[in-house]
Amino acid sequence: MTKHFIGERIKRNEDPRLLTGQALFVDDVEIPGMLHAAFKRSDYAHARILSIDVSTARERPGVVAIFTAQDMGEDWMPGPPLVSPPPTVKDVTFHSRRQAPLVKDIVRHAGETVAVVIAENRYIAEDAVEDILVEYEPLPVVTDLEQALAPDSPKVHDDLDSNLAAHMYQQKGDYESAKARADTIIKRRFYIDRGAAVAMENRGIIANWDEKSKQLTMWDTTQAPIPIRNGTAARLGLSDSQVRVIAPFVGGGFGPKIMMFYPEEMLLPWASKKLCRPIKWIEDRRENFYATTSERQQLHDVEMALTRDGHILGLKDDFLHDTGAFDPYGLTIPLNTQSHLMGSYVIENFSSNCTAVFTNKPIVTPVRGAGRQQGIFIIERMLDIACKELGIDPLEIRRKNFIPPDAFPYHNVIIDQAFSELIFDSGNYKAVFKKTLQMIDYERFVKEEQPRLRSKGKLVGIAIVPFIETTGVGPYEGARVQIETSGKVNVSTGYGTQGQGHFTSFAQIVSEQLGVAVKDVHIITGDTAEFHWGTGSFASRGAVVVGNAVHAAASSVRKKVLKQASKVLATPEDELELEDGLVRVADIPAKSISLGELAALANPLRGAVEPGTEPGLEATDYFGPQSGTTASGCHAMILEVDPETMMVDIKRYAVVEDCGKVLNPLIVEGQVHGGVSMGLGNAFYEKLQFDENGQILNASLADYLIVTSFEMPPHIETGHFETLSPLNKLGTKGVGEAGAIPVPALFAQALENAFQGRDLEILETPLSPNRLFELLQESRTTKEKSQ
Amino acid sequence: MKLKGEYTFDASREEVWKIFRDPDVLMMALPGTKSLKQIGENDYEGELQVHIGPIAGSFGGKLTVSNEVPPESLTLTVEGNGKIGFVKGAGDVILINQGDTRTTIQYSGEIQIGGRVASVGQRLFDSVSKSMIDQGLNKLNGILQDRTAVHK
Amino acid sequence: MNNSFNLSITVNGIQYEREVEPRLLLSDFLRHDLGLTGTHVGCEHGVCGACTILFDDEPARSCLMFAVTAHGHHVTTVEGLGSIDHLSPLQESFREAHGLQCGFCTPGFLTTLTAFLKENPDPSEDEIREAISGNLCRCTGYQHIMDAVKLAAEKSGN
Repeated sequence: MTKHFIGERIKRNEDPRLLTGQALFVDDVEIPGMLHAAFKRSDYAHARILSIDVSTARERPGVVAIFTAQDMGEDWMPGPPLVSPPPTVKDVTFHSRRQAPLVKDIVRHAGETVAVVIAENRYIAEDAVEDILVEYEPLPVVTDLEQALAPDSPKVHDDLDSNLAAHMYQQKGDYESAKARADTIIKRRFYIDRGAAVAMENRGIIANWDEKSKQLTMWDTTQAPIPIRNGTAARLGLSDSQVRVIAPFVGGGFGPKIMMFYPEEMLLPWASKKLCRPIKWIEDRRENFYATTSERQQLHDVEMALTRDGHILGLKDDFLHDTGAFDPYGLTIPLNTQSHLMGSYVIENFSSNCTAVFTNKPIVTPVRGAGRQQGIFIIERMLDIACKELGIDPLEIRRKNFIPPDAFPYHNVIIDQAFSELIFDSGNYKAVFKKTLQMIDYERFVKEEQPRLRSKGKLVGIAIVPFIETTGVGPYEGARVQIETSGKVNVSTGYGTQGQGHFTSFAQIVSEQLGVAVKDVHIITGDTAEFHWGTGSFASRGAVVVGNAVHAAASSVRKKVLKQASKVLATPEDELELEDGLVRVADIPAKSISLGELAALANPLRGAVEPGTEPGLEATDYFGPQSGTTASGCHAMILEVDPETMMVDIKRYAVVEDCGKVLNPLIVEGQVHGGVSMGLGNAFYEKLQFDENGQILNASLADYLIVTSFEMPPHIETGHFETLSPLNKLGTKGVGEAGAIPVPALFAQALENAFQGRDLEILETPLSPNRLFELLQESRTTKEKSQ
Repeated sequence: MKLKGEYTFDASREEVWKIFRDPDVLMMALPGTKSLKQIGENDYEGELQVHIGPIAGSFGGKLTVSNEVPPESLTLTVEGNGKIGFVKGAGDVILINQGDTRTTIQYSGEIQIGGRVASVGQRLFDSVSKSMIDQGLNKLNGILQDRTAVHK
Repeated sequence: MNNSFNLSITVNGIQYEREVEPRLLLSDFLRHDLGLTGTHVGCEHGVCGACTILFDDEPARSCLMFAVTAHGHHVTTVEGLGSIDHLSPLQESFREAHGLQCGFCTPGFLTTLTAFLKENPDPSEDEIREAISGNLCRCTGYQHIMDAVKLAAEKSGN
C-alpha cells in the first residue's frame, strides 16, 4: 500500500455541514407536540425549603404541568455515583453525596433545581417560573475551604459530622528521610481558584417517551451517551433496548458534559414518561454558570527537599480540594493532581494528603486538565522558587531532574485516576525541552534582546515550562467497521464528538487499513442505537482508546477482505494490495476487484456462509488498555507587561507536543491552540467569583472573561516530537487537554521574569491585571530587600 | 458590600428622628418604593422597585428598627426577596446634633445581594445603591425643609 | 398568544409572512419558526456573537433583536452564504485552514467575516484580528480562523 492517511493534514469530513448550518445540534431538533421546560432555581446557596406555591403558575395559559420533588413521589432519587473512590489506595475515606432531580428539603448550592415548569413554549415556561413562590429559610453558607473544615462551620450535609467529603493519602518512598538528608527545604502555600468550561453551546436535553412503542429517545449534549442510556433505563425501570440516547453535534464539551445525571438529565425523561409528550430543555448562559459543573479550587501546602546543587530529593503536598455541594465524580480530579505533582521529574520520595471538602457551591467535576493543571502549577513553581533560593539556572534545575529517556517505563508508584499504578510509558523530556528552547530562541533572547529591551524600560519576561499529561485511560471503547456494497465504509462507536474531529481522524485510521478515501468513510458517534458499549469522551482518550478499537476492527476487516479477495482473484494474500477502494494484485493492476463488489459477494442471496465466518465485511473490536499513556510537551512564551495597566501582551509562544503518533497534525494543532486559549484564561482572565453567600458575581460573558482574538499570542508555533507509546498498536497518545495544562505555571514564571528587579513571587492562579498590581505593591525591589 | 456615608439635614435632630419612623415619608423619599406599611411596633413591610444595569424588578420584604436610642442612634435591618434575587442587610445610623436646624447622620452597614441581581448586576451595585441613598436623603431633606418652613 | 404582529421579512432572499409575538427574539424566530437552525444561540446577552446574522447586509446580534424589528428588512443567515455542494470561498477557506472544531460559533464568524471581507477585501493581520475580536470561540484559539480569513482574502484576490 503506497498511500498513507495517518499523519496527514486531511481536511475534515464533518466541515461542510458545520459550515453551512446543516449540522444538527440538540436545540435544532423539533418534534411535533414538543413541550418546553424551564427550571425554578434557588437563589440561596444554603436554605431549607419551607413551601412551594405553584398555584399562580399553574393558572398561566400554556402551562401543561409543574413538578416539585414531592410530585415525583417514589420516583425521586439522587443520581448514581459516577466514579467510586479508588479501591487500590489504602484507607480512603469517602462520603458519597449526589445531586437530585429536584431539591426535596435543603438547597445546597445556588442554582439547584426546586421546581420545573413544562409549557407550550419556552417563553411561557419562563414566565410561569417567575410565578412560582418559594419560601426559604436561609441557612448559613460556607464557601471557604479552610473555614469549611473548622469545627463550627455550617455543614453542607447535616447527616455528616463535618464537611470532609473525602480523604486520601498517597506516598512513594519515604519523604521524611529525604527531608532529613536535604540541604534545603522549601515551603510554600499555593492557592488555585475555579474556572468554568464555557463551551459555546450550553447544555440541552430532549426526552421523548413514546407510549405506543414504549421507547424513550433522548437527545443530549452529553459526552457519555451510553452511560446515560444505561442509567436512564435503570432509573425508569426500562430495558436498555427501550432507550436511545443521541449526542449529535455538540458545541464543545471540555469536561462538564461528561458529568452525568445532572438534575435536568434525570428530570426530563421522567417528566416525558409521565406526560407522554416530548419535552425540550435548553440551558441558558446564566444557568450554565450555576447549573453546569466547574473546577479547580484547591489550597496546597507544599514542601520540597533538595540538595544544594538542585537535585530534588522529595516532595510533600497536603492539599484541600473543593468538591462543591456533592461529589458524584469521586476523587478523579485530586488523583490527577497527585499524579502530576511530580511532573516530568525523578522524585523518589513523595507524600500527599488530599482532603476533599464540601462547600455550598456548584458541583466540581473535570474541566479541561481535570486536576492536572494544579499539579503542574505546583511542581513548576516550586522549581522556580528553588532556583532563586539555590542560585541555580531554571533550565539547569529542570535538566538535572528530568526522567531520562532510558528510564521508561517509569514507575511512579502512586495510584492514578484509572486506579492503576502511575507508570509513564515513554517520553524524552530533555529533547522536547531542548527543541522548545530552540523554537523560542531562548538563549538569544535572554542574552541579547531582553537586556536591550529592559534598558529601554520595557517589562519583558520569558518562560519555559515542561509538563506531562496522563491520557488514554481505560476502561475500554469499541468500534464496528463495515464495508458496504457501495464501497463506502461505515464505522460506529459509542463515543461522542464535541469538535475533536473524530469523523476525520477515525476515518484516517480506517483508510490506512482499507485503502479507502477518507471522505468515503462514514463515522457515526454518539448514538446508542448504533453501538451498545462504551464509556465516554474524557481524559484525552479518544485517539488512543477509540482510535485503537477502530484500528483493530479495521484490521480485522482487512484480514477478511484479503482472505476473500485471495479466493476471488485466485492470488495469494501477500501479493494483494488495498488502494483506492480496490483490492489489486501487485504488478497486475488490471486484476482487481472493488471493495463494494467484495462486500456484495460476502453477503450472498444464495449459497451459504461458511461455518466459522460471518456474512459481510464487518468486524467489531474493543480496546481496553491496562494503563494510560503519558503524553508530554513544553510551552515557552515571551510577554510584555504594561507598567500602568498591568495588561499583558504575548509576543511569542512556542509549543512542542509529544502525543506519540500524530493522526492528523491539523487537528492536533487545533487542540493545542484551543487548549492554550483556555490555559491563558485560567492564568490571567478567568475566575469564577463567588461571594460569601455562595453567589456567583460574574455569571455572564460580560463579566466572566473568555479570551478573544486580542488576548492570544500573534502566532503559536507548534513543533511535534514523537515518542511512540508501546501500549497500543497505533503508538498514539492523547492531546486534548495538553494545551491548557502548563499555561498558568508558564504565565507565573514569565511575569516573575518580567519583574526581575522585584521579589515578586506568584503562588496563585488565576491572576488578573488587578491582582498583579496588588502583588507588585506587596513586593519590594531587590535594592529595598538588601537595605 | 459595605455602605458608608454621611449626610447633613437642615433640621433638628428630633425632626430627623421622627422622619426615620414615618413610613409615609420614607416611602415618598426612597426611589422605587411602591409601598411601605408599619406592621408592628418596630417592623415595616414593603415593596421596592429597583433597576440595576440590565436587571429590573422588585423586592418585597421587611424592614426592622432596633437598638433605638432616641434621638441618637438606631439600627435598620432589611430582608427581602423577589424574582430578581434577594437582599439582606443591616446598618447603624447615628444622628449628630449640629444645632437647632442642622443634623448630621452617619450611616454604616453591610448589604448582601443574591440571585440574578448579584450575578449580573454586581458590578453596578455599588454605584446604584449609593445613588439611591443619595437621592433618598436629598428628597428627605427637601421634605424636612418644607416642614421647617411651614412651622416658621 | 398575547398580541400578535404580522411580520413580513425576507430571509436569504425568500419573503416570509408570519404572525409573531412582539417579544419573540429574532434568533428564536429564525431557528424555530423558519427552521433555519444554522444561527446558534450562545449567550442571549450579545457577547459571544454566535447568533450574528446580516441585517440589511450589516452584522447584527439576532439574540438582541426582536423579530418584529426586522419587519420589512432583509436578513442573511449562514444558510444564505453557501451550500454543502457550493461552499463560498470563505467557507472553503475555513475548511482548508481547520478554522472550526465544534462548529457552534462558526456561523457567527462567517456572517461577520462575509461583511468584513466585502468592505476589506485585502485586510492586514491586525485588521483581521480586530474584525474577529467580537466573536468568541472556545475551541480553536482563533489562530486557524485567522489563517482561514487570510486564505479567503487571497482567494478573492485571484
